[in-house]
Amino acid sequence: MPDIAENPLTNVSEALAERVRVARPLVASIAVPGHRPRSGTLWRKDVVVASEQRFPEIGEAKVTLADGSTFTARVAGRDPGTNVVALHLEDTPDPTPLPAGEPHPGGLALALGVDDGGISARLGVIHSVGPSWHSRAGGRIDRRITLDIGVTPIEEGGPVLDAGGGLIGISTLGPRGRVLVIPAATVEGVLEPLLSKGKVERGWLGLALQPVLVPEALQSEAGQLRGLMIMGVSKESPAARANLHAGDILVTIAGESVTSPAAVAHHLGPDSVGKQIELRLLRADKPFSIPMTVGVRPSR
Amino acid sequence: MSAPAAGIPYRLRVAVLASDPVAQDWLAELVAQCGHQLVEAAASPDAVLTDGAADAVPAAAAVAVGAVGGEFAGWLPPDASTAQVDAALRAVATGLTVRATPPRARNFDRLPEESAVVLTPREIEVLAALGNGLTNKETARLLGISPHTVKFHIESLFRKLGASSRAEAVVRGMRQQIVEF
Repeated sequence: MPDIAENPLTNVSEALAERVRVARPLVASIAVPGHRPRSGTLWRKDVVVASEQRFPEIGEAKVTLADGSTFTARVAGRDPGTNVVALHLEDTPDPTPLPAGEPHPGGLALALGVDDGGISARLGVIHSVGPSWHSRAGGRIDRRITLDIGVTPIEEGGPVLDAGGGLIGISTLGPRGRVLVIPAATVEGVLEPLLSKGKVERGWLGLALQPVLVPEALQSEAGQLRGLMIMGVSKESPAARANLHAGDILVTIAGESVTSPAAVAHHLGPDSVGKQIELRLLRADKPFSIPMTVGVRPSR
Repeated sequence: MSAPAAGIPYRLRVAVLASDPVAQDWLAELVAQCGHQLVEAAASPDAVLTDGAADAVPAAAAVAVGAVGGEFAGWLPPDASTAQVDAALRAVATGLTVRATPPRARNFDRLPEESAVVLTPREIEVLAALGNGLTNKETARLLGISPHTVKFHIESLFRKLGASSRAEAVVRGMRQQIVEF
């Protein structure tokens, strides 16, 4: 019998299937009454994480692992800031941790999840890898990883692997249907507060801000061309106590120029709560500075 | 109403029924922006544009902007674009029912970084006045500036936001990022 030449396509296919086989025990199916089961990731023993957006406001869910075992899970905490919801289970197996993945643009990635009662897998390339970023809800995400893969709302929240089978993070539906990855380091970072306190506290001033051009006459005084105009002040907020008003233009926080919402978020991470920071503003064509104690961002 | 040839845009005769003069002006301007002819309610219009609060609106041919509830053939959100208003008027005039798609929850997204389009404080004030349906004169009175200056700011807003109508400027301006901290 002639030797059958090694088929590279079969090799690739088998290697991919093997990655999925190894990661299978991490894929969780989360059953929520009135909805189709959605995907999650068994992050470690007794802890499943999933995508927070669109996760129903419920206290308990039923989780099924790849081996068919089922658990009653308590929704321990949710963080819209990083799009992570943490579920606490009891007596799950201790999953063999996957090696840490390393995302490179153009490298292959596998997005796993559940669909039609079983494991689902999707393959594509890593579209981009960028520096840390802030979400609209104020959370800091360690890296901006986007995939050239489509996932459904049912599948988001499952693990994303690199070509070597390393864990990059969990999948998340982003703007215009683009798929983002919440990096494993970011999930790790919010897990403790989510399990112990049910939330991640972030800084809050009580300001609604919009980028604005600094009026020409004030540009040299302000030392910058742009600022953030106060469009609203929340009641009983640090900003209200400091007597800030709509129309004031914020130019610096703690001496650093703030010209975009992302620049403000940078000063209001979990460590900022209770700290005093100095704001510099323009009002009635005059600059002034005011110290403020950072409050806690209210949950939605 | 004589039936127009299919697929050819034609000018509708539209009546405006609003509960107050400001809303009346605002809706009348929307009708003008859509390129339709404004007629009296008694003149058997093809369609009626209303704020939903006026009396005796013929619901079967009416598009209500910013209203929820009622028997109107069309409902649109308060920030509906000119294109949506136009499409809704044409639809109800041909006996269709119109509902805007409910706003979909946004997917997880990033905070805006430095943006290309930044408005001046005055432009933001003028935009807010436009959003409230004020005319140039009313805006000028409110802000204590001349109608000429208001026009100047509106032209600048159109240019910066890439808008060609007041309604479009308001909608695009709303997308300008107000972020809460």
